Amino acid sequence: MKRVDYHEPTTLEEAVQLMTRYPDTASFFAGGTDLLVELREQTRRADHVVNLKRIPDLGMLTFDPRAGVHCGALVTVRTLENAPFIRAHYAGLWQAARELASIPVRERATLAGNVCRASPSADTLPPLIADQAVAHVYGPAGRRDVTLEDFFLGPGRTVLSHEEVLTGFSIPAPEPGTGKSYIKHGRRKAMELATVGVAVTLTLDGDSVRDLRIVLGAVAPTPIRAPEAEQVLIGKRPEPALIEQAAEAAIAGSRPISDVRSSADYRRRMVGVQTRRALQQALEAAR
Amino acid sequence: MKRMITVTINGEEQELAVEPYRSLLDTLRVEAGLTGSKKGCNVGDCGACTVILDGRPVNSCLVLAAEVDNCDVRTIEGLQHAPDRVHALQDNFMQYGAAQCGFCTPGILIMGKALLDENPDPTEDEIRFALAGNICRCTGYTKIIEAIRHTARQLAEERQGVES
Amino acid sequence: MNASVIDTTAKGAVETEGRDGRGEDDGTIGRSVKRQDLLEKATGHAKFAGDIVLPGMLHGKIKRSDVAHARIRRIDTSKALALPGVKAVLTHENVPRVLHYGSPHPRSASVTRDQYIFDNKVRYWGEGIAAVAAISEEIAEEALDLIEVEYEELPAVFTLDEATAADAPQVHDRGPGGNQVIDPIRVSRGDVDSGFAEADLILEGEFEFGRPTACYMEPNICVSQWDGNDKLTMWSSTQTAFMVRGILAEVLGVPLNRVRVLVDHMGGGFGAKQDLFQHEFLCALLARETRRPVRMEFSRKETFLGGRSRHPGTMYLKQGFRRDGTITARQARITLNTGAYGSHGPGVTTVGTTALTSLYRCNNVDLEGRCIYTNTPIAGAFRGYGVVQVYYGLDIQLDEAAEALGMDPVELKLRNAVREGDLAPSGHPIIGHGLEDCLRRGAEEVNWGPVRQATRNQDGVYRRGWGVGCEMHGSSAYPGIKEQGNATVKMNEDGTVTLLTGAAGLGTGAHTALAQIVAEELGVAFEDVSVVHGDTDIVPWDIGAFASHTTFMVGRAAQQAAADIRQQLLAQAALRLERDAADLAVRRGRIVAVDGSGSSLSVREAVSPTPGIPAAHLIANGTYTPTKSYSFAAHFVEVEVDTETGQIRVLQVVPVHEFGKVIHPVAAAGQIEGGIQQGIGHTLSEDYVVDTSNGRSLNAGFVDYKMPLAMDMPPIRTIMLETAPDPGGPFGAKGIGEDPIIAIGPAIANAVYDAIGVRFHCYPITPERVINALAGTD
Repeated sequence: MKRVDYHEPTTLEEAVQLMTRYPDTASFFAGGTDLLVELREQTRRADHVVNLKRIPDLGMLTFDPRAGVHCGALVTVRTLENAPFIRAHYAGLWQAARELASIPVRERATLAGNVCRASPSADTLPPLIADQAVAHVYGPAGRRDVTLEDFFLGPGRTVLSHEEVLTGFSIPAPEPGTGKSYIKHGRRKAMELATVGVAVTLTLDGDSVRDLRIVLGAVAPTPIRAPEAEQVLIGKRPEPALIEQAAEAAIAGSRPISDVRSSADYRRRMVGVQTRRALQQALEAAR
Repeated sequence: MKRMITVTINGEEQELAVEPYRSLLDTLRVEAGLTGSKKGCNVGDCGACTVILDGRPVNSCLVLAAEVDNCDVRTIEGLQHAPDRVHALQDNFMQYGAAQCGFCTPGILIMGKALLDENPDPTEDEIRFALAGNICRCTGYTKIIEAIRHTARQLAEERQGVES
Repeated sequence: MNASVIDTTAKGAVETEGRDGRGEDDGTIGRSVKRQDLLEKATGHAKFAGDIVLPGMLHGKIKRSDVAHARIRRIDTSKALALPGVKAVLTHENVPRVLHYGSPHPRSASVTRDQYIFDNKVRYWGEGIAAVAAISEEIAEEALDLIEVEYEELPAVFTLDEATAADAPQVHDRGPGGNQVIDPIRVSRGDVDSGFAEADLILEGEFEFGRPTACYMEPNICVSQWDGNDKLTMWSSTQTAFMVRGILAEVLGVPLNRVRVLVDHMGGGFGAKQDLFQHEFLCALLARETRRPVRMEFSRKETFLGGRSRHPGTMYLKQGFRRDGTITARQARITLNTGAYGSHGPGVTTVGTTALTSLYRCNNVDLEGRCIYTNTPIAGAFRGYGVVQVYYGLDIQLDEAAEALGMDPVELKLRNAVREGDLAPSGHPIIGHGLEDCLRRGAEEVNWGPVRQATRNQDGVYRRGWGVGCEMHGSSAYPGIKEQGNATVKMNEDGTVTLLTGAAGLGTGAHTALAQIVAEELGVAFEDVSVVHGDTDIVPWDIGAFASHTTFMVGRAAQQAAADIRQQLLAQAALRLERDAADLAVRRGRIVAVDGSGSSLSVREAVSPTPGIPAAHLIANGTYTPTKSYSFAAHFVEVEVDTETGQIRVLQVVPVHEFGKVIHPVAAAGQIEGGIQQGIGHTLSEDYVVDTSNGRSLNAGFVDYKMPLAMDMPPIRTIMLETAPDPGGPFGAKGIGEDPIIAIGPAIANAVYDAIGVRFHCYPITPERVINALAGTD
């Protein structure tokens, strides 16, 4: 790794000032599990790293049955994995968290970091979008909120400006009758980057689907909703034939690339298989 | 510019001058002279550098030394109870032949300890889940898992012995 | 000798049966004594080459090319040299230009001289073109970017088809032409034409092999230091310390006694750390130029770029069978891709090609092996050395034949299994034949007939299957290399024993096995034997730890030296007991009369000084020049295939190995389990991929090079047999290191066929290949 300067701001203002002072060459540093790797592998250039860990109050994870979850920017993926309310009410996010890399990585990696890295294959993004999470942002112009669905612009690119810092998320509380799932498709059982990821958040009203969000990872430059697939099932009884039809619609909506992990063709097929399986899992959980 | 940090390593408080871009792993190996933690990939994929930082297992290659000011670090060198008394995990790794080349062994032992601290009676699946980020290329994991399971049983018996 | 079975499925202690009625306290052979290296390893105190820190040490880094084939038109290091902290920069313009062998094996081996430390050409993407030494790793890394290189790009060849096409660009100006490293290896016995004419069934197949790499956990590393007398000391992670010494001396132009190579512990090698790598030369040169110690460590990415993989390649295989299953003829054309340099290519091609003469007996064979240069990373030695590839195809074709003939595959393999006296691949008659025993024991263990029956007519999403794969592998590299094992044994004046060996400690437990052999031969306790190794200035010459030969060959040398010490010891005792040495023996650390008469003496008393008698100085050498010995195995595997995703899960493996005599059951089983892990990887997921449009490595790291990890590995129930001891090995022992990686591949491929009815003639069998095959689009 090349030499860098290291900064430890203790307030958000100070952090933003540092980023403003180094317009092109500073990077925020929270968990570091992506940043340090990128610096070592020279896929990112930085002369300054701005460690956010000394800023108070960014490490809170709370749950309220009505308000839902609030997750600060420094909350680690391991903390989410171990939180009983995440497992109970945000099963897709929980599954994504426990399949992200390894325990020692998750002890450092933050949910905010996973989001800001904006990798198309990042595990936590599809369930966060499916759960309608909102990102809280602080910048030179003050605070703003952005839904996660509108947050990503491309691989490694988000709506955040260079100076803006993600301070945390809110995730709405699930409605009764909601089931969630996340399926990560990879070669191994762990230490994988998803070749396809599918998150489903589904709410039943009696026997029919009232609300449904299907989000696909690793099959487009950003995680994407599959609205055509959702429409197949919304307002209907989720019969196997309809689920199959929704899976087909998800395939039609995906735009995967071919790379060393998989061909685009195989990714498309897996979108179909795993969307069907994720829908079945979410349905079971909702019932 | 070097920064001064105060860090407790294996129970001993030390003051170290560290370059801000150096990892905890390099700092342990070079500045503190503790070469037991190994660099197998330097990007958090192999687990050979696993140490316990403030009670949590982390890849020391993915931590900057500058971050660990006022922290507590336990490395493989601090796993044994005394110079002549090894931890039950270490003893069982020897008995079961759970180490071959030995390069991944420090990280796996530290991860094994972190696991047993959190879950004293892990199933085989839980052990495999905990070791997902520790690559061993020699053993096929068979004997590593046996050694950890046996240690858990042994420690449980010891605890029962103390209680009764 | 009684047959015996060692069952390592028992928890902890290994159970043994049929061990000649010996009691607990008798001897150390066959007992899983506490390995001598494990305390250090478990406490973090074991010193690996990378743990050496010397005062004033500099850090070296290599700049690697970002083109696959080019002439270096200009290389400018001035900016790098101007960076504060940079102490030296080397390029092809200022290093010795000595053409050298890629593999440092002795000249008795078939190796190829085609490398320079740096050439004015690059032949693959990632090849080293310059090196920097600086006061920190960070500064060295920054300096690499300041080196300016101007290339004249040359047309490149990335695939075997491209390299062997008419008028293909040549990777080297040497060799017989057509990008061949060597003339084709041809092996011919009997008459294949008449063999095929006799056949009732003829099968032909094309096979394709991926590019697995060893992925030892310790990246290549060395530390060099020149002392005031111009002597080089190098700590290096190598399997072949004496070979490194030899080739360094040759290229640097210094005598052997001015190069000292040290290896204490090393973090795995699996065969791939027996080349001489660029960084070893460069580290020595940078240290000489700067007069300071230099440390040079590969990043994980560099272990891919600068390391050695298994040879990818292709094989055409045709065999004839009689209705009763007898093989009448075998014809094969093997083409291996050695990458940009020959390395072990000639040896691998020879061993792989000749391996097809055996395993399943056949009197009419016609085999050809070719080794081809391409502009891709270097393939070299790796556990299984050419045999992994060819037996994969051979054993799959046997499975196909069994089905076509309506026979059970185990029955067909038993019918053709190599037997005592058959001509081995090495060209001499096989002594002992364990293959039938392995097949029978494994079939019994897994309940073969019924479990296979249970896999018929499945129609669910998840389908299971059972398969069997076989192998045999030689201990020692004879006849490719005329080998020699050496050992020196000393008895100290307190009766303890020191064994000096040049054999490297890869982590297999070989040093412990050697100590056990010495203890057994001498009649002393295992704990009284210590091992000194890893210093070319001190220990006897050794060819290196490879070819499954350490326990077999060095073990025999150690046994001979120990036997010599025993005679010397008995002579000492005879003086003190005033008896004839011929009437005495050593039993459990005491010297006693064979007939039990008279007084006895402890070993210590026999050699300690007493008034009027000085301490005895006992030292002996053993040297053993082996021919060849073969170990055998059959692996039985159950898999489950997800027919919607193509994912294959190995559910269980029952490996049955025969290797003459098991010295240390736990260590031996560890070899088998680890070999299976690597073999599962090669067969299902591991493939180092090179972009065939530009030669770039696409997955040089642990994220995208997919090794099976803790959650992927199945339970393994290891069975070890001692039914065919080798008279040349110590106490009958044969090699084990390479065997387990060979049989697992075809066993998995055959099990996948059993599960889903699709044949794969390639590895790795990726989910995508499964899905394409099931969809009929492959």
